[in-house]
Amino acid sequence: MPRQVRPADVVIIGMGAAGGVAALPLAEAGLSVVGLEAGTWLDQRDFAPDEIRNNYRDWPFLVKKVEDERPTSRATSATNANRVGGSPMMNAVGGTAVHYWAQSWRLNPWDFKVASETVRRYGFSRLPAGTTVEDWPLDYEELEPHYDAVERAIGVSGNAGNVRGNIDLKGNKFEGPRDREYPMPALRWTGFLERMADSARSLGWHPFAGPAAINSERYDGRAACAYHGFCNKGGCPVNAKNSPLISTIPKALETGNLKVVTQAHVTTIEVDREGRTTGVNYVVGTEEYFQPARVVLVAGYTYENSRLLLLSKSNAYPDGLSNNAGQVGRHYMSHHQGGAVGALFPFDLKAWYGLPAQGVAIDDFADDNFDHSDLAFIGGGNLWAMSDRRPISAASMSTYGRGRNWGSGWKRFIHENSDRSHGAYIQKTTLPYEDNYLDLDPTYTDRLGLPVIRITAQYKENELRAASYMQDKMEEWYRAAGAVEITRSGLGNTMGITTHAYGGTRMGNDPEMNVLDRWGFSHEAPNLGVLGASVMGTSGARNPTLTAQALAWRTATHLVEAWRDIAE
Amino acid sequence: MRVSLPVSVLGALFAIVLMADVVHAQMPATFIVESPTMRTGEMMPRNYSPDGRNVSPPLSWRGLPDGTREIVVICQDHGAGRPPPWVHWLIYNIPGDATGLPEGIPFDPADPMPSNVMGAAQGNNGWGLAMYRGPAPPGTSLHHYHFAVFALDIELGLPPGMTRDEVLEAMDGHVIGEGSMVPIYSRQPAGRDTIPGGALRRSGSDR
Amino acid sequence: MTDERRKKDAITRRDLLKAAGAAGAAAMIPASLDGAPVEAIRPVASAVTAMSNAPLMNLTARETEILAAMIDRLIPSDELGPGALDAGALGFIDRLLSEAGSTSVDAYRSGLAALDRYSEYTRGGRFVELSERDQDSALIDLQTGGAGGAGADFVGSSGGFFNMVKSHTWQATFGDPHYGGNVDFIGWDLIDYPGVRMRVSDEDQRLLDAEQLEPVRRSAYDYAMFGTGRPRGPDLDGEG
Repeated sequence: MPRQVRPADVVIIGMGAAGGVAALPLAEAGLSVVGLEAGTWLDQRDFAPDEIRNNYRDWPFLVKKVEDERPTSRATSATNANRVGGSPMMNAVGGTAVHYWAQSWRLNPWDFKVASETVRRYGFSRLPAGTTVEDWPLDYEELEPHYDAVERAIGVSGNAGNVRGNIDLKGNKFEGPRDREYPMPALRWTGFLERMADSARSLGWHPFAGPAAINSERYDGRAACAYHGFCNKGGCPVNAKNSPLISTIPKALETGNLKVVTQAHVTTIEVDREGRTTGVNYVVGTEEYFQPARVVLVAGYTYENSRLLLLSKSNAYPDGLSNNAGQVGRHYMSHHQGGAVGALFPFDLKAWYGLPAQGVAIDDFADDNFDHSDLAFIGGGNLWAMSDRRPISAASMSTYGRGRNWGSGWKRFIHENSDRSHGAYIQKTTLPYEDNYLDLDPTYTDRLGLPVIRITAQYKENELRAASYMQDKMEEWYRAAGAVEITRSGLGNTMGITTHAYGGTRMGNDPEMNVLDRWGFSHEAPNLGVLGASVMGTSGARNPTLTAQALAWRTATHLVEAWRDIAE
Repeated sequence: MRVSLPVSVLGALFAIVLMADVVHAQMPATFIVESPTMRTGEMMPRNYSPDGRNVSPPLSWRGLPDGTREIVVICQDHGAGRPPPWVHWLIYNIPGDATGLPEGIPFDPADPMPSNVMGAAQGNNGWGLAMYRGPAPPGTSLHHYHFAVFALDIELGLPPGMTRDEVLEAMDGHVIGEGSMVPIYSRQPAGRDTIPGGALRRSGSDR
Repeated sequence: MTDERRKKDAITRRDLLKAAGAAGAAAMIPASLDGAPVEAIRPVASAVTAMSNAPLMNLTARETEILAAMIDRLIPSDELGPGALDAGALGFIDRLLSEAGSTSVDAYRSGLAALDRYSEYTRGGRFVELSERDQDSALIDLQTGGAGGAGADFVGSSGGFFNMVKSHTWQATFGDPHYGGNVDFIGWDLIDYPGVRMRVSDEDQRLLDAEQLEPVRRSAYDYAMFGTGRPRGPDLDGEG
């Protein structure tokens, strides 16, 4: 019999990027909030600049919960799903944001209206076959103040490209209009990044520094980035990388209205006879607890969000909580970020003390920023040239067909070329499709015997064509900058576990096609909300985190405003 | 799947496949390609595979057309690779007056080419290595290894490390003669060394 | 040499173990001298190198010998400078095996035995008996997977074993010295990595761009804030 703990106004499942941000406006409004987190507290002392531990021994996975329940994947329903690869997610207070790359982008206005804009400009037939894309139930303009609030609450550095219609080419000329500048200017560039920017300009493109949830100067009492070079899958020893752990959660704790329970493994969400949620079951070690709450917010990252709903069956919801319309798990997307391009330069790049969020961005080929009339796809990608290099990975670089990757000849090669390679991942528009979805795996279970998520999804023609087009552009950029060798990775097939997973609990006005309403609350269970990229209906050509956080902020502030309607 | 075809059919098939590789201005002359240790249609000694020392086999040729300035050798398996063929060896810049390749062409760039083929360069095989790597067909399947020799009317002057496609493109229009031989190979279950001429024998085995 | 002088120069097993702490190698002192002072046979630095071929704690002398020969081909000591063995790769791997447990030890044992069988069957001798060229040729075949099915009976593909040893050798050579490798920063010097620093100012980056930045030779764990070098585990509960 689970032990009942003191009821809270709101229980948030997961204190990661989205949940950790939503806690602040709720706590500041005086609501009692309990954050249930499967991981533990970490701090600066845990974040040594140690490549072996960070990148080869998977130190972030001290807590095995997420590893234990990592999804299976398959391309289509014609085959069985298998577990391929580990999960990149981390359980901790602050979540994967504790070690993530911290690129922190707003989506562009087009991303909110892909369906209607495509029909308007190119005609209905240009929507890819099988897509279930809809316009979002809100547009960029409505989300703008929440982007602004989160950028300030966590600390995002960047150069604005469009402040109230005034274009500034230090920033992104294609971005949606912002009310004001970023709280801090963008991170610095190295000499090589300046070179990449110059090369982009020579091609007629519009390079700018990418935004990051990383301090470029002292902010909110925390240090500026020290550029020590171990940011990639490393926590920040100077507290310049702004996960909720060091920004919104401490402020929420200060109000006295937030309680964080760590090592809490949530199993199911309870409902009453009317289908309203009543609280959450969780396990700490072998002890079972029940946390009663007026409102439940699910913020466990995309896979776990759908999974918890599917596992929470009841008389009111025989197919899983909020799944009477059969939409939980639907409209899933793994962001197309593969199809990487690599380059070898005939000179050193001086990249030892960089970080993945330090870089030059090109949005000229993102979204609908270019004419697609004669192309066979819609959407596009963001080109990103970053500065990131560590010793073991540098010594493991490709030899670009110039010989064996070990031995005496290789020693000469690496002595000369260790700082001369570069790699670019490219984020592309990814759309939802009818036959790309999440459900519960029939075979694999976690340590508690509960089924894990099964991903049934593959990249479609539209995304693959866009990916190939973007590889061409990246190669063009590299060559303009002086690269002498180029490699291209394959464009991919099966959508597997990814750091950028979207959908499964989509927001939309139509309750037959969406799990959540325009505010992020369930169409079926009014006091159930979901936070994270699982609510998003399109991916955009950039990282999801800031958008997931802005939506979470908006859901939380709406909850405060509409408390009576939702909670009572 | 074992595929055994008469040598004449093999040769014809190979010629067709070869034509698909290279476009010629005119029909090139055919010349003889042989080896002291290999024959078309017969098992290669295992020293030319990873079941042995994996050294490159000796080849000899005669009857090359006048005006041969460079010789190129490509060894391919048309039953492997996605898509086929799988390249086992690519060696070019062989002097036009060379009469063959000795066994064991060096695979380490620090070791010099034998004097009679000085200047020869190796391109990247299917594993991306500029060296000979011999047959390793899956299980006990039997594959054919096409050693194709091309006589060119110019010196290509290519650097080492070129790919097959790059070499074929450079050769285009300059092939004045060609010859080939097609030995076969399959791997034996462990402990059974049945190939005559194999340099290593496990104690206790016959032959 | 007088007895007095001998005592002063003597190095105990404990001294050697401390010096070899980074390399993790077991002492090569005969059991009969256990605990007793031992005459210094060579300076400590080369004692560490000499002990790099001593049997490891997790592998037999014969297995260590094969592994050392393989590592020596992966990143040799040559005119360009010291290689992976000098960087302490054996000690690094020994320590990794002590921490990782029996499946990793088994993977090494079975792979090294298969490598020896493969060398014997294909090239007429145990791996350590082959010429350097034949060793390289054998390792190339391991890496491509060509060595599978040639009487060697690698567990899984030969490429899996090769990649495991290569990956560990690279971590040993180019990773933080805290783990026992990268001795004397051999690895970081080979690739001109300017070292672990906690702050890289705009001026530091400018110096780096101008190739004027002096290398820093430190482990991450020489910076006091990182304490013992182990992240605190889930038993730390910080309920808010």
